[in-house]
Amino acid sequence: MKIVIAGAGEVGSHLAKLLSDEEQDIMLIDADAERLALLDANYNLMTFEGNPTSFTTLREAGAAGCDLFIAVTPYESNNIVACSIAKNLGAQTTVARIDSYDFMDPANAAHVRHMGVDRVIYPEYLAAQEIITALKRTWVRNWFELHDGRLVLAGVKLRTGAPLAGMKLRDFAYTNHHFHVSAIKRNHETIIPRGDHSLEVGDILYFTTTRDHIDDLLALTGKTEHKIRRVLIMGGSKIAVRLVNSAHGEFKFKIVESDIDICRKLPQKCPDCEIIHGDARDIDLLEDVGISEMDAFVALTASSETNIFSCLTAKELGIKKTIADVENIQFISQAENLNIGTVINKKLLASSSIFQLLLDADSSTSKCLALADAEVAEIEVREGSKITRAAVKDLKLPRELTLAGLFRDGQGQLISGATQIRPGDHVLVFCLAGALHKVERLFT
Amino acid sequence: MDFKNIHTRHLINLRMLMRIMGWLLMVEAVFLLFPALTSACWHEDDWLPFACTAGLTAATGALLTFRSKPTSPHMGKRDGYLLTAMVWVVFSLFGLIPFLFCDERLSFSDAFFETMSGFTTTGASVINNVDGMGHGIHLWRAMMQWLGGMGIILFTLAVIPMLNHSGGMQMFNAEVTGITHDKISPRISQTAKNLWLIYLLLTFLLIMLLWAGPMDFFDSVCHAFGAISTGGYSSHSMGISAWHDSVYVKCVLIVFMFLGGVNFGLIFKASRGNFSALRRNDVFKTYVIIIFSMLALFAASILWRGQADGWQSVTIDPLFQIVSTITSTGFTVSNFENWGPFVLSLTFVMMFFGSCAGSTSGGAKIDRILYLFKNADNELYRCVYPHSILAVKVNGRVVNPELVNKVIAFLCIYMLLIVAGGMALTALGVPLVDAFFSAFSCISNTGLGAGITGYGNSYDILPDAAKWVLSFLMLIGRLEIFTVLVLLTPAFWRR
Repeated sequence: MKIVIAGAGEVGSHLAKLLSDEEQDIMLIDADAERLALLDANYNLMTFEGNPTSFTTLREAGAAGCDLFIAVTPYESNNIVACSIAKNLGAQTTVARIDSYDFMDPANAAHVRHMGVDRVIYPEYLAAQEIITALKRTWVRNWFELHDGRLVLAGVKLRTGAPLAGMKLRDFAYTNHHFHVSAIKRNHETIIPRGDHSLEVGDILYFTTTRDHIDDLLALTGKTEHKIRRVLIMGGSKIAVRLVNSAHGEFKFKIVESDIDICRKLPQKCPDCEIIHGDARDIDLLEDVGISEMDAFVALTASSETNIFSCLTAKELGIKKTIADVENIQFISQAENLNIGTVINKKLLASSSIFQLLLDADSSTSKCLALADAEVAEIEVREGSKITRAAVKDLKLPRELTLAGLFRDGQGQLISGATQIRPGDHVLVFCLAGALHKVERLFT
Repeated sequence: MDFKNIHTRHLINLRMLMRIMGWLLMVEAVFLLFPALTSACWHEDDWLPFACTAGLTAATGALLTFRSKPTSPHMGKRDGYLLTAMVWVVFSLFGLIPFLFCDERLSFSDAFFETMSGFTTTGASVINNVDGMGHGIHLWRAMMQWLGGMGIILFTLAVIPMLNHSGGMQMFNAEVTGITHDKISPRISQTAKNLWLIYLLLTFLLIMLLWAGPMDFFDSVCHAFGAISTGGYSSHSMGISAWHDSVYVKCVLIVFMFLGGVNFGLIFKASRGNFSALRRNDVFKTYVIIIFSMLALFAASILWRGQADGWQSVTIDPLFQIVSTITSTGFTVSNFENWGPFVLSLTFVMMFFGSCAGSTSGGAKIDRILYLFKNADNELYRCVYPHSILAVKVNGRVVNPELVNKVIAFLCIYMLLIVAGGMALTALGVPLVDAFFSAFSCISNTGLGAGITGYGNSYDILPDAAKWVLSFLMLIGRLEIFTVLVLLTPAFWRR
């Protein structure tokens, strides 16, 4: 697939690297030659220096014949213009990164499409959704639900004392038919487990199950659910604003922000929450705002380090659920090992939604789950695709992916070796980074 | 993703290197079959050594590939440099075997020199009696140049899909000549395929054109391989003069040697109808300008010395010699030695310049010279106006100062290597002029000789040790210094 990416910022270069590993033809455009030089020398992709909103640049960079055009420069309006030009030049599908809800609003959808933008990615919105899910389900690390929860993929960290700990996966599967362990994240690495893997304390296990068995999962992993009501947010960033506005009064928010100018603007943007000026790293201040009465702590400042450490502090102060925005991908697994409840990352969320696009997944129903080195996608099975040719156990699936579950006739169900996938099924696929093209091959 | 391997990554991914080396050797084995078949067709005894070498190479390759089980396919910069440098040596070590066992046997040092000279497209030969060699040997000499001209790694990138990742990218960077490496398509394998396609087409065209002239098919193939790769081996001891100084042969070769000296990415663009790319390319323009200014100087010198007889001797002959030298091919016309010392000094300059980066030619490349002169011009201007901000601008784009530094460092090391190489040769008893000229000729991959090594005569007069020194210089010159020298730095081997 020919993909042109405009903007070699954080999201752009992350996407370019990832997609290049997925054996796609990548052309990366940016006005800054130095930013491109390193990527050009080290990755299997092509770069082009030029202004992403110019006809000449886009024409020379081959936007005219590309299958996918992704505009991820820092400015929303540039992205829209770039997409518009690319679409007019003949790009198949265009995607723009936006940073206001305006372009996502269904009321404006026709206008946005008319401008030549086929899809939008709004990383802050995705992040806010992710946080809300995490606040609703305090006991999981990641939560991915399909069709109103009829099929669920949950990432749970195994603690000492959990009934499951130390069990071989084979034995677990023998006694529990309602769960499928799709993946295990252990020491910085995600693995697709086989029967002889054992479940160890400290692993994050990704279970697939149906709605009726979620409570059993709680018991099995030795978790309890907390009801969250009062949430303290550190940092009045874009995500924070989006979060407060997306929650529709379900939670009671307090925002602590250290920049007075930002603080002054926040009451306009977030009408129903309390704004506090101060540094949330200051324990006295935290006690003043009543940290002890808070149910959750969400750290959303621009610095990943600050977010990680303040979450640790909040944990020590007795807060049950903490969520940190960690933008350095390298820190994510460290943060997960440090017992910070949920880690969110805008880049991963953005790239994950692009992957959904690549897989041609039904983006209206599915929500993306962004993991550092794996992807989860819901894919509709087409007539005649390879996956329908035999029962799952005879398909010789690559080791890097697993079929977690499927949705058929309005019902979610798990997949066993004997399952025969039929056209029209929606299959939940869990695959490691770099194996996406293999998934693509299976479903065509 | 990178970070997950932090704990397991080694300095050098040896198993992966061995596996790729195995693939590369199997590619070489396939190439070795052609001379074996040729020998067999001409009923010569050389088919046996070629067939055995092919078998041995293929077996070694298969062993390396299927016995090494890489734990991770990841390849970093170090792997790229090491593999690229190693490939050229290992290819030469296997490629020299036929020379050891063919009818006109060579010693090990001679064979290594001959093979390395072939792969690096230097074209310096130790064989005196070229006419006495079998057809298989001729074809193998030509094929080595042809393969080495565009690049062994590049060929492999085009044919082996498993290298189509960032590891392949590192190898591409380590092998392809030039300051920066322009890709012509997003995937590295696609770039390699396109470049090789252009190369194949040009070679095919050249074979046909030569065959249409006075050459027979076999000589056409050998000379086409030698000219397009800018190597310079000939299947005749008289070189290209063997066809009664045919003007047709010279003209055809001039055109194709010239093309061999142009950036293949540029040829690719031009072949797609993008001629404005040619017009905008400063390097290409300079290349053309240098050739024609040199022609004027050569012609003047020839006339001055009274060597002119007929229009050819002031047009075609000097032009042939100029293009042959600047593209580092090293074919010579018959009375080059009578043109005098001024012409020889011009030859020096052209050997140093070389032609465009990203071509099959050797030398320091015009790109770098252009950077050097533009930068020198700026420095002079700054003497008068110290506060002015000046940029080096090539091909319509401002070049970042760090790149200019890198180019200047390259040129300094290049000169130092010529001096060091020349000194090493004098220490081995080679006369002064010959020592420096041979060192220069080998590092720039031209393969001309001077003095006792003589025009058209061979390098076999040199002591064995000198041949090894020169072989090393050829390798350094072909891989543009850094790829080889970086292996000799402690930082490369330290974590």
